Amino acid sequence: MKLVPLLVGGILGIAAGVASALFATGMIGSGGRLSGAVDVDGWQSDWTIGSAAANPWMRARIARHGLLALTKEEAVYFTKATDDEGKPLTEACTYRVSGGAMPALWWSVTLYNAESYLPSNSGQALSYDMTKAATAGSPDAWSFTIAPSAPAAGGWVSSKAAGDFDLTLRLYKPSPDLIADPEATLPAPAIARVSCGGQ
Amino acid sequence: MKGFLTGFIAFLVTLVLAHLLVVNALPGKIMSKVRGRIAEAGLPVHHWHMNGRVSPENQTVVRPSPDLAYAICLIDLSNGPVELNVPAWDEYGSLSVFSARTDNVYAGSLDARVPGTPDVRRLIVALDKQDVSAAGDAETVRVKQPEALALIRRLAPTQEAYDAAAALVPESSCKPL
Repeated sequence: MKLVPLLVGGILGIAAGVASALFATGMIGSGGRLSGAVDVDGWQSDWTIGSAAANPWMRARIARHGLLALTKEEAVYFTKATDDEGKPLTEACTYRVSGGAMPALWWSVTLYNAESYLPSNSGQALSYDMTKAATAGSPDAWSFTIAPSAPAAGGWVSSKAAGDFDLTLRLYKPSPDLIADPEATLPAPAIARVSCGGQ
Repeated sequence: MKGFLTGFIAFLVTLVLAHLLVVNALPGKIMSKVRGRIAEAGLPVHHWHMNGRVSPENQTVVRPSPDLAYAICLIDLSNGPVELNVPAWDEYGSLSVFSARTDNVYAGSLDARVPGTPDVRRLIVALDKQDVSAAGDAETVRVKQPEALALIRRLAPTQEAYDAAAALVPESSCKPL
């Protein structure tokens, strides 16, 4: 008679274990958001990304949402899925992203949909980077617009067909100061919501 | 009551075991799936391959950077070490190697502006106990499983820069030592 509760408990346990593993690693649910071991004004990262020191959950999450990521000596990755007021980033709104000089050899900000892919649009405006900031003549005080269609002027990243999205800030060859003290060193880009639904 | 307790303990034990099993298996499974997808596309092992410029239509892995030109080489160490030779680039660039468990086991600069970056970066990839004496004093990275993957990143935000990066692929090698 003990066999029945043993079987039921075992089957339910396996199902719960698989489901909790898929959720904990971002295979289902919370998208590409990181653990927040490093958090600078909501831009989240984890210095164990890419390294053998990553715990199994972080390794699996990165394999799903950031496969082939480099270790922190070569590049660091910050992700943010909310605006400055803490509201989720969505295609329905227009945002202004602004920042200053970044402590790295080169940097970029790229928009990804909830599945961690580039949104399927033909705007050819998938990211903003140091090269564009320099070309615009403002490498130390840059800004760009996130919207489904191009603004009248200035830099643009298209959110068309993105749905709910997040931004990944990549910093290649980060400075040692950034690695040692990210909260004090990173000038976290601001994400201001300008309007929603054409309002 | 005894039956409930038995079922509850079975639930907890299998939950923990299933959770850990899935979490630990996922990276290898995902990497294996990516290798399979690349192989299905007709790319042989030990061969540098460059996709077209990253776009929403040709994403093969998650979170690609549209500003970079990527070249990839599938490595199989079953029959011995592999030698990589990759020319430098005049902007940001790197050569990296990933293990079958997705760990970034090596990253070397290809940026000619960075002190210490050689004109051509030479790297040997080998299993823990493989003999690499034929490589002389070349840099060597060791991995535990035969399947690995090498990746070149070069900053190429324009079509012109991408074409220049593509022109360097024939000058690169990924071959048995």
